[in-house]
Amino acid sequence: MMGLSGRLLTYIAVAVSFVAVAMSGNGFFIQAALGIAISAILALSWDILSRTGQVSLGQSAFFGIGAYGSGILTPVIGAVFGWIVGILLCAVAAILIGLVTLRLRRLYFTIATLSFGLSMQVLIVMTPRITGGSTGIMPPVIMGASPSAQLMLITGFLIVSAIVSDIFLGDRFRPAFFMIRNNPALAASSGVPVVKTKILAFAVSGMIAGIAGACYAGLYGYVIPEDVFTPNWSVLPLAVSILGGMDTTLGPILGAVVLRVLEEVARHFVGGAGYQVVYGAVIIVFIIILPKGLVGGLTQLFRKRTRKAAPVAPAEAAS
Amino acid sequence: MTWVSFAQAVLLSLTVAGLYAAIAAGLTLTVGVTRIINFAHGEFVMLGAFLTYWLFTRFGLSPWIGMLISGLVIGLFSAVVYRSFLARVLKHDEHNQLLATLGLSILLLNIAIILWSPDPRVMQAPQLLPALELSGVTIPGNNLVVAAVGGLLFLFLQFVMRHTRYGTQMRFASDDAELAQHCGINVDRVFELSFVIGGFAAGVSGGLVALLLYVHPAVGLDLVIRAFAIITLGGLGNIPGALIGAAILALAEGLTSTFVPNGGSFGFGIAFLLLLFVLLVRPNGLFGRQVQ
Amino acid sequence: MTSLSVADCTVSFGGLKAINDLTLAIPSGTITALIGPNGSGKSTFCNMVSGQIPPNVGTILLDGVSIRGLRPDQIVAAGLARTYQVPRVPKELTIGEVIGVPLRYVRSGRDLPRKMQTAADVARFCGLSLPLDMPCADLSISDLRRLEIARALACKPHVLLLDEAMAGLSLADTEQVIALVREVHAAGITVVVIEHVMRIIAALCGHAAVLNNGRLLAEASPAVVLRDPAVREAYLGKGFAP
Repeated sequence: MMGLSGRLLTYIAVAVSFVAVAMSGNGFFIQAALGIAISAILALSWDILSRTGQVSLGQSAFFGIGAYGSGILTPVIGAVFGWIVGILLCAVAAILIGLVTLRLRRLYFTIATLSFGLSMQVLIVMTPRITGGSTGIMPPVIMGASPSAQLMLITGFLIVSAIVSDIFLGDRFRPAFFMIRNNPALAASSGVPVVKTKILAFAVSGMIAGIAGACYAGLYGYVIPEDVFTPNWSVLPLAVSILGGMDTTLGPILGAVVLRVLEEVARHFVGGAGYQVVYGAVIIVFIIILPKGLVGGLTQLFRKRTRKAAPVAPAEAAS
Repeated sequence: MTWVSFAQAVLLSLTVAGLYAAIAAGLTLTVGVTRIINFAHGEFVMLGAFLTYWLFTRFGLSPWIGMLISGLVIGLFSAVVYRSFLARVLKHDEHNQLLATLGLSILLLNIAIILWSPDPRVMQAPQLLPALELSGVTIPGNNLVVAAVGGLLFLFLQFVMRHTRYGTQMRFASDDAELAQHCGINVDRVFELSFVIGGFAAGVSGGLVALLLYVHPAVGLDLVIRAFAIITLGGLGNIPGALIGAAILALAEGLTSTFVPNGGSFGFGIAFLLLLFVLLVRPNGLFGRQVQ
Repeated sequence: MTSLSVADCTVSFGGLKAINDLTLAIPSGTITALIGPNGSGKSTFCNMVSGQIPPNVGTILLDGVSIRGLRPDQIVAAGLARTYQVPRVPKELTIGEVIGVPLRYVRSGRDLPRKMQTAADVARFCGLSLPLDMPCADLSISDLRRLEIARALACKPHVLLLDEAMAGLSLADTEQVIALVREVHAAGITVVVIEHVMRIIAALCGHAAVLNNGRLLAEASPAVVLRDPAVREAYLGKGFAP
């Protein structure tokens, strides 16, 4: 992971870029940036768990629980508590599912999260008295419906998510996570409580996805189940992270920006349903050709350049 | 709830189980042999469904023949996909393999949406077999076809795996690919073959889908989720287990949708809860092997 | 005093008993060899005591405390570490990071031997003269073997199980690893060496236990054990015993 100065630079660069857009007054770019920021937060949530080798296809469930939780509870117990409880609900769901599925083969976890994600919409529709059913809910709009202010708040959450992501890329967690992914028996034999660690990662992942959902719900004041529980929100973080670079913090953020551009291009050509073909194409192309994503590719390019610049010592030339 | 309506629900569910079993068996074969978890298997079924639909609607070709052609075409298509893409994915670790086949699934699904629109279609085929009437219970002819063909496909896959030379090679390669290679087995060819056979099963299953269900691009996704749930229930690589798993899931779904108010809209909730419950009690599936 | 003992243990996979009513005690402070023909249960023994595969029946005691049924990471914390025959480490991690995992995660009251404090100390002790930030992808097989031993040492064990740690090494490398094992033993750690090569066992171990078909066949000094006709028969089959 980058050193402290590198990370701070990243946070500042990201914050400055988004805040610049927020203050630009350009409606289109602000809306685009809102979408990108939310995608980036969701992608970070996915990547954190992916580092332990667990592929979640159910981030949309946590996205929706965060949205509905905060949206329904805020009028009742205020915004701060409403959001906190909504996000804690995500953690509880993650822990319950994780306790059953994270000690098993990884495929079973993936299937379970997929089924969970797809089941949530049904659950909402069947509980109209609590959740408003298929008619939806009207969550309070954040930051007085000013898109610029909303963008700045959500950028704040993005930075918080980036910090959490970097904590899990630190010396305490990253080597253990990668060991769990690559060789869980080895991790256990090195003193790592494998299942507990995975549950921790899943709970954090769920909570960050919940934050993204809460942000989304607070944007327009009206949310129906299809908006948040659609599988789109489960596939998007995969495509973003793979494109930008898995196992990094900058990757999901960069990926969110680039994928948004690709999406617009796809929408232009396809116009309507089916533009997600670009997600599939991105995943395939990058896994096969550039598995470390754009960040990995750029890092390699950068290393090649710096190696060319430095004179080669005779001992190195021999290897 | 009368005995008749109960029997009706059970028998109808079992016919659907035939379809599920065929799809799950094809999938568990390729996964069990190559260890590649092919999420795109559902899209293979979907393409088979569209092909059978098109052959009937455009050319009036009987679905009996349409199914067979779909099987052959998708089998071939499967081999092409393996050659051009999946074989490359073998070099990567399990994590990346899963992501790659997911990408393929999303790609194929959306290409289908672009080409054919997401609207569901119904193949207005006549009943291929006469309906079965037994003391008040009626099983429509096409349900019988699905049960029969599904069952046949399933037996075919079992037969190939257990009683042919190819099957032995596939089981060997799945157990220990490196050792098999050293023993002179062309593991690459064996993997390709498993995809051809799995693809054939997917194509024929697609024909059954066209007969029984709506034909739309997302039908593959619906089915592959169930297929994976069934494989989880029955144990990875276990073909007979897939049959039992299919029966359990189909029965759970069928009985719920018939007898629980609004049960039809439970969607995947049933599969999910069933899955969690089974995994809680038997972490390797009902019949899974101990091997991780 | 025994540091690791198993009593009446059975591990069965379906119908096959990989460990069959095994009772074995590893004396404290020794380098004990665990030998036996292929399929005798050596690797299963390793997996059993380290918690990867719990026994169906039986007791396992580490320093007198039962460790049966504990998770592998709990057994490591209790003082038993093992190496893996085929070292498979995440390629992106560096030497320092791999050794760092047990240093960070193993909670025990114990210290590293010889006042070692850091990953660098452990690496050096094990003869890894490479920079700590070298990624594991760039390591040779003998370096990977040393890294495995270093990783296991970083668990601060009382008992160290080496599962064929010298398979496939060159003569020179094998001699170096033998010397390393002697150093580990000299630092106060009980070592169990699972090996096939008799020369290594004769050179290194004061005590040997022979497994056959999941049972203990013989237990004595290596010289005595290797002359035992029952042991010869187990390895070579009937008709070869004198």
